[in-house]
Amino acid sequence: MKWLMFAWKNVMRNSRRSLTAMLITALGTAAVLGSGGFALFTYESLEEMTARDTGHVVVANARGFEGDEDVPLQHGLAGSPALAAKFAALPGVRAVAPRVQFSGLISNGDKSAVFVGSGVVPEIDFRLRGPQMNFISGQPPASNSPAPEVVIGNELARLMKAKVGSSLTLLATTTEGNLNAVDVLVSGIASVGVPEIDKRLVLADLASVQKLLLSDKVGTLSIYLKETADTEAIATRVREMQPELAVKTWRDLAVFYQAVRALYDRIFGILGVIMICIVLFAMSNTLGMAVVERTREIGTLRAIGTLPAEIVRNFVLEGMLIGGAGTVAGMLLAGVATVFLLFAGIEMPPPPGRSAGYPLLLSFSPPLYGAVTLVVIVLAACAAWLVSSRAANKPVTEALAHV
Amino acid sequence: MSAESCTVRLTGLRKNYRVGEASVEALKGVSLDVLSGEMVALTGPSGSGKSTLLNLCGLIDTPDAGSRELGGTVIDKLDEIALTRLRREKVGFIFQGFNLVPVMTVYDNVEYPLLLLGVAAAERRQLTLTALQQVGLEDYALRLPDALSGGQRQRVAIARALVKSPALVIADEPTANLDSTTARQIVDLLHELAHERNASVVVATHDERMSSHCDRVLHLIDGELQ
Repeated sequence: MKWLMFAWKNVMRNSRRSLTAMLITALGTAAVLGSGGFALFTYESLEEMTARDTGHVVVANARGFEGDEDVPLQHGLAGSPALAAKFAALPGVRAVAPRVQFSGLISNGDKSAVFVGSGVVPEIDFRLRGPQMNFISGQPPASNSPAPEVVIGNELARLMKAKVGSSLTLLATTTEGNLNAVDVLVSGIASVGVPEIDKRLVLADLASVQKLLLSDKVGTLSIYLKETADTEAIATRVREMQPELAVKTWRDLAVFYQAVRALYDRIFGILGVIMICIVLFAMSNTLGMAVVERTREIGTLRAIGTLPAEIVRNFVLEGMLIGGAGTVAGMLLAGVATVFLLFAGIEMPPPPGRSAGYPLLLSFSPPLYGAVTLVVIVLAACAAWLVSSRAANKPVTEALAHV
Repeated sequence: MSAESCTVRLTGLRKNYRVGEASVEALKGVSLDVLSGEMVALTGPSGSGKSTLLNLCGLIDTPDAGSRELGGTVIDKLDEIALTRLRREKVGFIFQGFNLVPVMTVYDNVEYPLLLLGVAAAERRQLTLTALQQVGLEDYALRLPDALSGGQRQRVAIARALVKSPALVIADEPTANLDSTTARQIVDLLHELAHERNASVVVATHDERMSSHCDRVLHLIDGELQ
């Protein structure tokens, strides 16, 4: 405690210089925590978005993920209701959504366009997609409607000049390789925030799609979990239960998430290294000047019996105090920024290829705060050790003669 | 003179300094014994080797030749760490410029050598206050050195040297720049330290007031004792 008190007194010996170093450390810490919090928020958002889109665990026929089907549902899953019931009974599973991917032409009688569609169970799917699907008008299709209903993308609705209640025709290749058509009513117009997808999006009731494709198979079973953290455990369990099927997690299917994460890891990693260098230089400069100014004092302390290691320890304590105080201030700054952004409602511009922005928020992560604190304090200690060890090992007479 | 009664025994000490290309011989085979409880004055003109001899005596410098003993222990083969530990236990220093740590209070400055020795808190407090009483500064314990006069600062330095009851005290010009009254107090304190605490005191001085009170006065000229 005494040594800590001496270290604090020495830190405050040149308070302006120490405060400058603390401020630089605080800003560096806040910058790392802010950018790290932003990256974490982005990762969490993308995780949620991807998991809501694909499901946490996706089960298909052994060749279902290869994408080399000659006709729709060639590698589809048969007996999906029984499988879905089996998976739904697993602990931690929230719901199981059967899906069929299909494509073809959509027509309003005057004009046709290519669509990429999904056959879904509306009661399950639209509940699970949550805010990722933004309904501009109308509502999800009804399963038991006498006329098949669809939700189409807002861009496709514009192309087809369609509104809620409009009648359109879907034309697709059946599982037998023939063309089949079905008249559908537009029950809703929605956007997923990606114009290229909204231009082709058709979501239809699963039974209607199976009828169009002349099959009772489904393409995939999407398993939604209560906790994303359980993904790997449930995937393993499903693999054990049905070893003949292919099982992928949302992470395996999240190409965009992986790309963004790789990019952000590098950007924020480099930013972190730059901040670390700034903190290291600020600390080295402050403590280096203190060491030069106190060389004679170091000589005195050495003469009366202080070991070089004890001199270094005192400077290391000073460095850790400056680093620690700077880190606390930096954490407060980052915390204030996190809370401010929570209420400020600031929007980020839409990322490339998307039509909607997203809120600028920072995640609060205790492990991140802990790790940054540890790194800054260790850096400060290293800087202090580097700049003081030479002076501490200087011959006593030389140190005493220092002017 | 037996080794047991000697605190310091210096034999044939030589020390050279390199000044540019030239080599200057600061000490030319100096031998000196200082007894326990003896106060020895080193006098001589500037550049005569007083400070060099004082540094070698106080174990903060190493000779080029010769041998040293402190309390019967030959110290020539000790490494820097061992020498530091020996200084910590047995040597007290009083500098001309006081050399107090400005951010530490008077109390903290005096207590510091005891902290190094790992003395328990209660004993440390008692020894520190006793040392401050001995130099008459117990009322100044919580002041910073900058708030004291030159004489008071030197008394703090003396308290710092005597607090651990060292076997040897090295004092470099302790009365320089002090007025007569204060210088007299410092001389008395060092005298008391030597005779009542049985410490060997080696003082480098130009000051007549100081050397006249020493048990022995050694005159150093051109690196040789006269």
